[in-house]
Amino acid sequence: MINDIRNTVLAVLNKNNYGYISPQDFNLYAQQAQMDLFEDYFYAYNYQVNKENQRTSGTGYADIKKGYVEVIDFFSVTKPLIPIGPNYTQYNLPSLATTGSDYYLINKIVINNTLVTSGTTTGTLGGQNKIVDSNANFTSSGVQVGDIVFVVNLIPFFVTVTNIDSNTQLNVTPSVINNFPLDYQIYKGSTIKEVERVEQSKITLLNMSPLTAPSSMFPAYTSEGNVATLYPTPTLGTVVTCQYIRYPKVPKWTYVDLGNDNEPVFDQSQPDYQDFELFPDDATDLTMKILQYAGVSIREASVVQYAGAKEAAEINSEK
Amino acid sequence: MSYISQYQYYENGGNAPEDANWGSYQYVSLQDIVVNYELMYSGNHSLINNEERYKILFHAKRAIQELNYDAFKEIKVLQLTVSEELRFILPSDYVNWVRISYYKDGVIRPMVENIQVNSARAYLQANDARILFDQNGNAIQPQYSPLDFARITGQQPSIYLNSLSPYNGFLGYEYEGCWYFDFAVGARFGLNTETANANPTFRIDKKAGVINFDSTMANESCILEYVSDGMENGDDTQITVNKLFEEYVYAYISYQILGSKLGVQEYIVNRARKSKSALLRNAKIRLSNIHPGRLLMNLRGRDKWIK
Repeated sequence: MINDIRNTVLAVLNKNNYGYISPQDFNLYAQQAQMDLFEDYFYAYNYQVNKENQRTSGTGYADIKKGYVEVIDFFSVTKPLIPIGPNYTQYNLPSLATTGSDYYLINKIVINNTLVTSGTTTGTLGGQNKIVDSNANFTSSGVQVGDIVFVVNLIPFFVTVTNIDSNTQLNVTPSVINNFPLDYQIYKGSTIKEVERVEQSKITLLNMSPLTAPSSMFPAYTSEGNVATLYPTPTLGTVVTCQYIRYPKVPKWTYVDLGNDNEPVFDQSQPDYQDFELFPDDATDLTMKILQYAGVSIREASVVQYAGAKEAAEINSEK
Repeated sequence: MSYISQYQYYENGGNAPEDANWGSYQYVSLQDIVVNYELMYSGNHSLINNEERYKILFHAKRAIQELNYDAFKEIKVLQLTVSEELRFILPSDYVNWVRISYYKDGVIRPMVENIQVNSARAYLQANDARILFDQNGNAIQPQYSPLDFARITGQQPSIYLNSLSPYNGFLGYEYEGCWYFDFAVGARFGLNTETANANPTFRIDKKAGVINFDSTMANESCILEYVSDGMENGDDTQITVNKLFEEYVYAYISYQILGSKLGVQEYIVNRARKSKSALLRNAKIRLSNIHPGRLLMNLRGRDKWIK
C-alpha cells in the first residue's frame, strides 16, 4: 500500500510542477499521517458509541463501530509483564525491550497465580506449537485444555493449551517454539483475575478502606513512569499479563538506487521495509494527510487546502 | 463460579475439607456479582458507565452487609465456656446478637438480658472521694469496679427469680388457707413476669466487646446465636450471597451509583430505588419459604386445648 500512496502523492504534487518530496521526507510524513489516523480511530470509535446511544446508528452492515473495533484490535497485543526485582510488586509496562512493542493504551492487566506445573522443554516438533518435556507428566499434574503456558524466552510469551497429546507433550495455540531448553510454567486458565487500574490519588484511600482494599480476588495497580505497581503484592510465581494496544510500526518506503529517469526505485525486499499497518480503506485519508504535510513543506497553500478539504469531506461522509 | 461436577460437590474432588462445596449452589460469590454487574449493567450503552470497579465492589459489599443484618436470617452460632471472670468475648465477626442460651444437662436454656446494669468502670478514689491520677494524668482504675467485683464473687443479689435472688429457697407456710413467707419486707404479691426467670442473666457490653454474666454462669457452657455482616473477615473469596437476593444486589448497586452520580435525572434514580425496594421485598418473601407443608404444621396446633 505504501508505494501506491507514494505514487499518488507524487502525482498530485507534480501536477502543475508544485514540487517533489524525497523518500526521507515521505517516510517522515507517512509516519506522522499514520499516527494521526491511528489516534483518530479511538475518537471515531467514541463518536460511534455516542451515535449508538442516540439511536442514530444501525446494526449489521450499518454497524460502523464494529469496523473501528476490528481495526483497533488489529493492534492488540497480549504479553506477560516482567517483574522488577524479586518481590513481584512492580512490573515493567510494555516496551520495545520487554514485550517487543511500545504501548499506546493499556486495556487490561490480568494475573494468574494458580500454578499447575512447571518445567523445561526438552525438544521441539515440526509444527512449532508443541510443549515437549520428556520429564513431565502433564496428565497427573492436572493440566487441562484452556490452561495457560508461560514460556520464558528472550521476550517471554504465553500460549494456551489446546490439547494434551500425551503425558509429555502438549499442543498449544500457534507460536514459534523452535528452540529448547525453555523454562515454562503452566497456570490454571480458569482462575484469572483482572487487575484494576487505579489513580495515584485513590490508591492510598483504597488501601485504608476494609471494603475496597485491593485483594487477591480484586487486585489493583498504579503506574508511574514505565512501571506498574500491583496491590496486593502478588504471590511468588504469579504471572502478570497485559493486553494493550501497541503503536503502529513506523512505515518505511525503501528503494534500491536511482533508476533510468533519476528516480529511486521501490524495493520492498529491503530489511527495513515497512508498509502502512492501517487498513486499505484508509489509503485515501493517508494520502490526503501526507499531501497536507508535503504542501506545508513546499509552501503550497493550495495543496494544503485541497488535501484538507478532501479529508474533511471524507470524514463527514463517514459519519 | 463455574458449575462443578458431582464429585467436586460431594467430595471436593478428593481434597480436604470434604464439605467445602456442600450447599454452595444456593449462593453466588462476590466475584460473580461484580463480574456479572460489570458485564450486564455497566458499559457504553447502559445507564451506568465509566465507573471504577472498586465502586461497584464497595456497593456490592454494602448490599451484602445490609442483607446480613436482617433479611438473610443466616444466624451464626458459637458455643464457649464462660470464664471465671464471667465474660464471653464476642466473636470477631459479631454485629448483633439474636439469642443467648446456656447449655446444661443436655438442655439449651434461653437466657434473658438483665434489665439492670451489671458492669461498670471505676476509678480509685481517696477518702474524700477525689479521683487518684497516675504520673501521666490518667485516672487510676481498679481491676474491677465494686459492681463487677460483687457480681464476679457472687455477692450481688439478683432481681430475677434465680439462685441469686435474695428470696431464693425461702419456704412459705400456709395458715388457714393463706400462704405466708418470711420476707424481710412485706410479702410478695403477684409476680413481675419481666424478671420471673430462673436462668442466669447476661448483659452485653458492646464497647468492651464482651457479654457479662451473673455469677452462676462461671464455667458454664454458653451458646451465642448472632448475626455477622457477611464479610468473612475480609476474605473476598469467601463472601457469598443467596441467589434469591442476587437481583436485589444488582439493583442496590445501580441505585447507589445512580443516586450519587452527577446529572442523572431524578426519575431514573427513582426507578432504580423502586426496583431495589421491590426486589428486596420479593426476595424476603421467597426466603421466608412459606409453603403448604409449613402452614400445615402451624395449623395443627389449632386444635390443642389451652387450659
